[in-house]
Amino acid sequence: MPSEYPMNDPQTIWQNQPTEPLKMPENELRRKVRQRQAKARIQALVSIALGLIVCVFFAWTCARAHELLPRLGLGLLSLCGLNFVYQAYRWIWPRNLGPDATVNVSLQFYRSELERQRDYASHIWRRAGLSFCLLGLAMVVVPGVIHSLKSPRLLMNFVPVLVLLAIWLAVFFPIRKRKLHNLQQHLDELNLLEKDNR
Amino acid sequence: MYGPSLDRLARAYELDPDARRDLLQEIHLQLWRSFAHFDQRCSLRTWVYRVAHNVAARHTIRQRRIRSRLVAIEHLDLLSGSDPGELAVSQNQALERVSMLIQRLNPLDRQIIVSYLEGMDAASIAGITGLSPANVAMKVHRIKNVLRRLFGEGGPHAE
Repeated sequence: MPSEYPMNDPQTIWQNQPTEPLKMPENELRRKVRQRQAKARIQALVSIALGLIVCVFFAWTCARAHELLPRLGLGLLSLCGLNFVYQAYRWIWPRNLGPDATVNVSLQFYRSELERQRDYASHIWRRAGLSFCLLGLAMVVVPGVIHSLKSPRLLMNFVPVLVLLAIWLAVFFPIRKRKLHNLQQHLDELNLLEKDNR
Repeated sequence: MYGPSLDRLARAYELDPDARRDLLQEIHLQLWRSFAHFDQRCSLRTWVYRVAHNVAARHTIRQRRIRSRLVAIEHLDLLSGSDPGELAVSQNQALERVSMLIQRLNPLDRQIIVSYLEGMDAASIAGITGLSPANVAMKVHRIKNVLRRLFGEGGPHAE
């Protein structure tokens, strides 16, 4: 301890006392990594299942459609479902951490997983091909709406689709924002932990 | 980031090195577990201290033998066996005096004195303890008086 600190200043004396750094227990860190892996796996499985359902459903409707434009739209929606499956596998499915990983490796692994998911969540519009989904939906809905203009009663058939679309858009952005916020909070938590482990 | 401050905080609550290490580990684990609930309504520093003090206070309260002897800063007579007017001859001796003083305080006053020694202002200490800033300012004033008597007229931060 340096000797130049004034002997009668308790704050300086207190703040300059020697301290020992505490390392985060490895078990706790591994538990955290495993927890994140399990969560990511469930999330990836749900996304993959949803993508497959969307893909099969629209492929089936595509095969039954008669007009060209809606058929192309349905085909596009089916491909979007397939792309969603691939992107979920690529960006959300967790990689494996070796059982003998050191604390540093575990920390780096945890960080890279969080960053990968944050990257996917922040670019989900592009990565999941949501623009193509909307284009496909427009190709299916717009010709139907144009045909229905002659009879307003037929137009009512499209109301549920438009309501669902509006609900989805209203829910999508707040959920995405919350998810990004949570991932950033985990990364901040990790920064705190890394600084304490140095 | 707050490693050394948390180590000092643990020292204020536990003198035994092994028990202190356990306490410090418990504080880190609690911070780690409750970080997801940090809602940014206060600064990260205030939040870290609040969680850490709560864990440490629980640790002190569990030790009934010690708890019965703890007093408030208002009822503190200066440490027996030391001459308050005399300047400490070494850093270690000075630190020991502060530590002994802290060890005699009840958890709430301990939170205040440790936060004060860490250089926090009354508003931050109020955020940690849940007391009003005016109440904290009054307590800090008393703490300064006690420390001044303990360290001689030169300090601390004589107004």
